[in-house]
Amino acid sequence: MVNNQSVSQGRDTGGMVMACLFIMMAVIALWDTTNMMDSDSFVFPRAIAIAIILFSLALIVWNLIKPVTEKKETVADASTLRRTALVAVMLASCALMPWLGFLLSGFATFVLLMLVAMYDKWTSKKVIIYPLIAAAVVAGFYTLFSKLLLVPLPVGLLFE
Amino acid sequence: MPGIEYLFAALTPVNILLALFGVVSGTVIGSLPGLTATMAVAVLVPITFSMEPSSALILMGAIYTGAIYGGAYSAILLNTPGTPSAIATTFDGFPMAKQGKGDLAISLACIASVTGGLVGATFLLLLAPPLAEVALAFGPVEYFWLAIFGLTLISALSEGNLLKGLIGAGFGLLLACVGVAEISADIRFTFGNQVLIGGIETVSALIGLYCVPVLIDLVATPDKHLMVNYEPRGFRFLEALVIAWKAKLSLLRSSVIGTLVGILPGAGGSIAGLVAYSEARRSSSRSKNFGHGEPEGVMATESANNATVGGGFIPTLVLGIPGTPPDAVILGALLIQGIRTGPSLFTGGGSIVYTFIYGLFLATFLMLPVGLVIGRYAYKAIITVPKAMLVPTVAFMTMIGTYAIRNSISDIVIMILLGVVGWILNRYGFSPSPIVLGLILGSIAEQGFVQAWTIGAATGQLAKMFFGRPISLVIIAFILLSLFYPVIRKRLFSSAWRVSGGE
Repeated sequence: MVNNQSVSQGRDTGGMVMACLFIMMAVIALWDTTNMMDSDSFVFPRAIAIAIILFSLALIVWNLIKPVTEKKETVADASTLRRTALVAVMLASCALMPWLGFLLSGFATFVLLMLVAMYDKWTSKKVIIYPLIAAAVVAGFYTLFSKLLLVPLPVGLLFE
Repeated sequence: MPGIEYLFAALTPVNILLALFGVVSGTVIGSLPGLTATMAVAVLVPITFSMEPSSALILMGAIYTGAIYGGAYSAILLNTPGTPSAIATTFDGFPMAKQGKGDLAISLACIASVTGGLVGATFLLLLAPPLAEVALAFGPVEYFWLAIFGLTLISALSEGNLLKGLIGAGFGLLLACVGVAEISADIRFTFGNQVLIGGIETVSALIGLYCVPVLIDLVATPDKHLMVNYEPRGFRFLEALVIAWKAKLSLLRSSVIGTLVGILPGAGGSIAGLVAYSEARRSSSRSKNFGHGEPEGVMATESANNATVGGGFIPTLVLGIPGTPPDAVILGALLIQGIRTGPSLFTGGGSIVYTFIYGLFLATFLMLPVGLVIGRYAYKAIITVPKAMLVPTVAFMTMIGTYAIRNSISDIVIMILLGVVGWILNRYGFSPSPIVLGLILGSIAEQGFVQAWTIGAATGQLAKMFFGRPISLVIIAFILLSLFYPVIRKRLFSSAWRVSGGE
């Protein structure tokens, strides 16, 4: 799926929306600090939350009072589906890791991300070579981390 | 200069091989997102137990030096700083790579890192005991203001809006508060989620905020990751050398800044590159090019961050206060070897410490050929590997690297989610750099703030505590300067223009 992205013209509406979200986040943080008894715990986060609110309000006010400038509209073709798929595959890999183990889930993630990032045509040579390279890269990193750096990578509940 | 006999002691074949091995492995490890210098040094500590103390120190120093330089590769080629001290390298390094000058940027980073490393080691050799006093002059309030200085600097340096930079820095500081509180051990901002009790791991967040947005954009279009120039251009070493020679004053100034800021335990590494970058931009005649692929920007950061290696060793060896996490690991190894740190180490235990310092010079010199060769291969790999291979390889590296830090799958999830948040924020002009630096400096800032607040409240002199100490006032002046410098400069330029008859 390919869609057209455009940068909004004139006022920085997106920036102002983000500033509002930051204010909400800071208010939630302030509310959470009310449960803390020790002043050592809340004095710093409260100061920071208040600073965020003030800076965000200043950003909104600045955007409202400054003269509206004409921005160049940039249009770029970019695939939202591939972007979403990348994040979904990485998150799914984390979900499956405790069961499949790092090696297997890592290989599956590698192959799926290869499909997501593939724009060229699949040739028979690529179909054979790419998965082999994927296996070599995953196995290489797995060995480096688990054997040399002694990182206890998950083996997977299915294989224990 | 301390005895030449120590120089010969450092130059034994075994030590040269150890230094070479250390620099190569450090550079490779530092270039992989998620693998830190601390981890590299920590893993190799057991090997050093059977070695001569000076050889062990040379190996660890070489790994550390190589790892700090290696961080520049991913900063330049992937827009992901391999180490926090390479954050400012992304500002100009990645734009240079996008313009097809990644090979030049790597050669420049190598020359600058060697220069910085040599300056830092020289300070360590000649001025360690008196300079260590600087670290003692900084109390909690000064560290708080220093952290704020770092954050205002990066907010001011971030492209676009200063307010957005400050909001990002605040967001980073709030993220640093998640989990168990530094001083009171209260559990904060976890909202009942057990996973968040351990807090947000800094390097994971760094990988997420820098690397995941690059991956998200990489898969979205069929375009090449970097502009490719197919003409064979070698290392572009001479070209880089000429550029470095023209900017020699900036290079030396950045190296000295890196050494001096590196002396301050904890804060040094992250802030040194930023201060040097900011100063280089301020004093450069091409300041408008900074942030758009200016070679001087890459050199300023890289010379400063490698100078922090020598600078960081000053409090470690003289006071026993580790300047950086790798210094802490090396300090532990020293204690196991039976070496007691302190000013007497430079007199009583001179043979070991001076052999080590000369070994650091050796490792820094070796970094030049090693860095150029590895950098060339890294660059070629990044520009020639098809996107269908590059994306999964980088994604897999980020996942395994993040997992390795605390052996936690949750950290990978947090890394990915922060990456998505960073990508969204970046689209609306909120740069990831202030957020990451806020997260890194959060604990230093909070400790300083809370300690100063407690003392000030108890003595009834809160304002004096924060604003009454000379070093604090100097740092506050720098903070104000970094925030209002564009306005001051604009005023100065417009008045100079009027005086010259332009009105």
